[in-house]
Amino acid sequence: MTAVAPIPSRRDHLRIRRNGTATHTLRIALPSKGMEQQTLDFLATCGMKVNRPNPRQYRATIPALAGVEVLFQRATDVFAKVAEGSVDLGITGYDIVREHQREDDGVVMLEKALGYAGCALVLAVPEGWIDVSSVTDVAEIAAEFRRKGRDLRVASKYPNLSRQFLFDNGINYFTIEESSGALEAAPALNAADVIVDLVSSGVTLRENRLKRVAGGTIVESQACLIGNRAALRDNLEKREIARQVLELIEAQMRSRDYYSLTGNIQGDSPEAVARRVTSSHAELAGLRGPTISKVYHKGGGDEGWYAATVVVQSKLLLPAIDALRKAGAGDVSVVQLRYAFQSRCWSFEALVRQLHDTSNDD
Amino acid sequence: MNDALPPEDARLRGLTATLRDHFERFGYRGIDTPVLENLDLFLRKSGEEIAARMYSFTHWNRKLCLRPELTASVMRAYVTSLRDRPLPVRVHYAGPTFRYEKPQRGRYRQFTQVGLECIGASGSAADAEVLATACSAARQAGLKGFRLVLGHLGVVLQLLEQLGIDEHGQNLILGNMEALARRGADPDEVVPRVLALMGVGDTSHVEDALVDEGDDGRLSPLPSLLAEFGSEGAANVASDLLARANLVLEGGSRTPEEIVSRLVAKAGRPDPTDRVARAVEFIVQLQRSAGPPAEAFDRIGALLAQHNLDPAPLLEIQRALSLLPSYGVQPDEVEVDLSLGRGLRFYTGLVFELHATGVRGMSSQIAGGGRYDELVRSLGGHESIPACGFSFGLERLKLALDAEGAELAGDRSVQVVVAPIEDADDAVAIELSAQLRGVGLDVELDVRHRGVRGNLRHADREGIPYVVIVGERERLTGQPLLRDMQARTERAHDVGALIETLRTAR
Repeated sequence: MTAVAPIPSRRDHLRIRRNGTATHTLRIALPSKGMEQQTLDFLATCGMKVNRPNPRQYRATIPALAGVEVLFQRATDVFAKVAEGSVDLGITGYDIVREHQREDDGVVMLEKALGYAGCALVLAVPEGWIDVSSVTDVAEIAAEFRRKGRDLRVASKYPNLSRQFLFDNGINYFTIEESSGALEAAPALNAADVIVDLVSSGVTLRENRLKRVAGGTIVESQACLIGNRAALRDNLEKREIARQVLELIEAQMRSRDYYSLTGNIQGDSPEAVARRVTSSHAELAGLRGPTISKVYHKGGGDEGWYAATVVVQSKLLLPAIDALRKAGAGDVSVVQLRYAFQSRCWSFEALVRQLHDTSNDD
Repeated sequence: MNDALPPEDARLRGLTATLRDHFERFGYRGIDTPVLENLDLFLRKSGEEIAARMYSFTHWNRKLCLRPELTASVMRAYVTSLRDRPLPVRVHYAGPTFRYEKPQRGRYRQFTQVGLECIGASGSAADAEVLATACSAARQAGLKGFRLVLGHLGVVLQLLEQLGIDEHGQNLILGNMEALARRGADPDEVVPRVLALMGVGDTSHVEDALVDEGDDGRLSPLPSLLAEFGSEGAANVASDLLARANLVLEGGSRTPEEIVSRLVAKAGRPDPTDRVARAVEFIVQLQRSAGPPAEAFDRIGALLAQHNLDPAPLLEIQRALSLLPSYGVQPDEVEVDLSLGRGLRFYTGLVFELHATGVRGMSSQIAGGGRYDELVRSLGGHESIPACGFSFGLERLKLALDAEGAELAGDRSVQVVVAPIEDADDAVAIELSAQLRGVGLDVELDVRHRGVRGNLRHADREGIPYVVIVGERERLTGQPLLRDMQARTERAHDVGALIETLRTAR
């Protein structure tokens, strides 16, 4: 790219319009309701703070990513926009992707679990159905209804997933009531017999005197990152920005699993200190091993203090602190890592493989 | 979207014609039913696995689907319109069917079934006719190597009945039979899967803590205690208890009585784990006993005796097989396998499949069928009518023939191009074309006015042997110019002589 045509590529990157403003290389759509604040927090944690001059505006930028324009859309529209290609990347709910996806929709999944906005799409029945504890019971009741000449009425905003789930569980006789209003009230109002709805804490179900049943989880969902296949496959600059986004997300998400611990230990030499730190369980002495550096005493003189730093998995925090103490550390300071980059960005490599997998192309 | 292009389309049509023509020789007559059907037609039994693979939709509040197979449609037609005909009613059909599955080589979401149904005859004579027609049709189509796999659902159904497994459980086990027997599924995984779908066994793996605790749905103390009161008494006791606790059963669309009586009935059901395991074990044994008829009959006979099962199904197969040689049918290979399930749940007795031995890298099955004596009743008929049939998967059969390198008749080639030079020549050219078609020639009229050279080049490229030029001179003399592409000669003829020349040259 550098040797062949440096100037055009640069101009592509920051295409200057006649009026002098830069056009954007890549557009990313974020969910505007429900998941909005969580998404903004998540991106900020990943070092991609969204700069939105006015909360009523539907456009914003991410200063850390040059050439990126942010659009706020309803979560279902995020999927539609990515599918049609008017935006390149989008964050939406995994449940929405599953409900709206088509074989030929041109959407690729970049990261299907961003670790927030967790919920589940479940089948729920009235609490009063004390004879019903599993989806099999619901199947039997559907058959019973059928003998009485009527269908099981299922209220849901997810007709596709609901239909597939019911068929998969041997429930053939049903009608999906695609109500968009207060779904949870439908059984009490006798507008439906059971519902298929999103549940996060379960409080709404309980308040409406509904309960989940065994085997009734249709999709476990959380926020996910999707992209337009053609845009990421054919436009290398867009793909490069996608790589940066994935690098930051992956390294940030991985960093949640690690702490960095530092303790001052007195010893004859760095080697001697290292030996003491590594003498306990190997897994407590850092991923590769401790880093030992000399501490220079404030008052001058040399009392042989060294700082030993280890990076350990979060679940090993307390054992690792004990191990450092045993090695002679008095005070131990702990820092949660901000990012943990590995030698490669796995999610980006997975994306590239997906982009070149043509088996699903029509 | 999978198009059948020329000459592929002609080959498939030719194959269809060969098969249906063969069926006609046995007295079967053609029937055609709509591609679009009422969804209900295919949802007779709950848990029918095909439901999830249908293209179904609601159009103006009517539930419709694209037919996933043809037997149910044919039987609907029989029930509504053919019941006054003398039995057996013999019909054959061909048409597109639709199933939403992952496309693979030899498996498309739209595929063509070509088959027949023999309605109103039971017994080995009818079975043998259907089996023999399938085999001889495959041979007639040009297939050399194929294997006939014969099974009989009567054996497994007997065992399930003997074990006292209810209809829902029977359907689930039969639905898993295919996976057990053909795809090498592990019985230790199938048993829990069936049990989970029956609503028993360990369901902890499917749910998390959010599900209401305490009620595993079976044999908890209260319901089993209630069961001891007998169903009616128990319902009263339960309702009374709930009322005393000031608990109102708000069941939405279900009454408290319905809920309590079902709870009690559920508690009264015995734990089916052991029986399901025995059924699955039996299917595995059946599969192991499969093989060439002589050996398989011995092994299966012993197995049936051991389980106190009626050997009648085995005798039915034996007798049907013994009649095949009289039809002149000697399948290269016959295998008897009583664990053969077939995907569809309407079969009740004999089932069979034809497999091409020459195909690699895809499923080798080219045809399948069997006996379905209860389908008429489940479609609303008053009595059960014995019936038996099969269908070929046309695209599969064609791939099997391709694999054997069989020559299939492709498109007929066009024999003559009639080429008017300018607009004024059109009328003469059209009339001449019509006359040539009248004597049985395939004639292409040049509607693009390509000119003499253009038409010669076109005929050359497409391998069309004759070009007739109609220009101003030919029109005025009444003598079109005939170009023989192979001999590279040109001659003007009177129209009569021209037609005669081309007719005899054909």
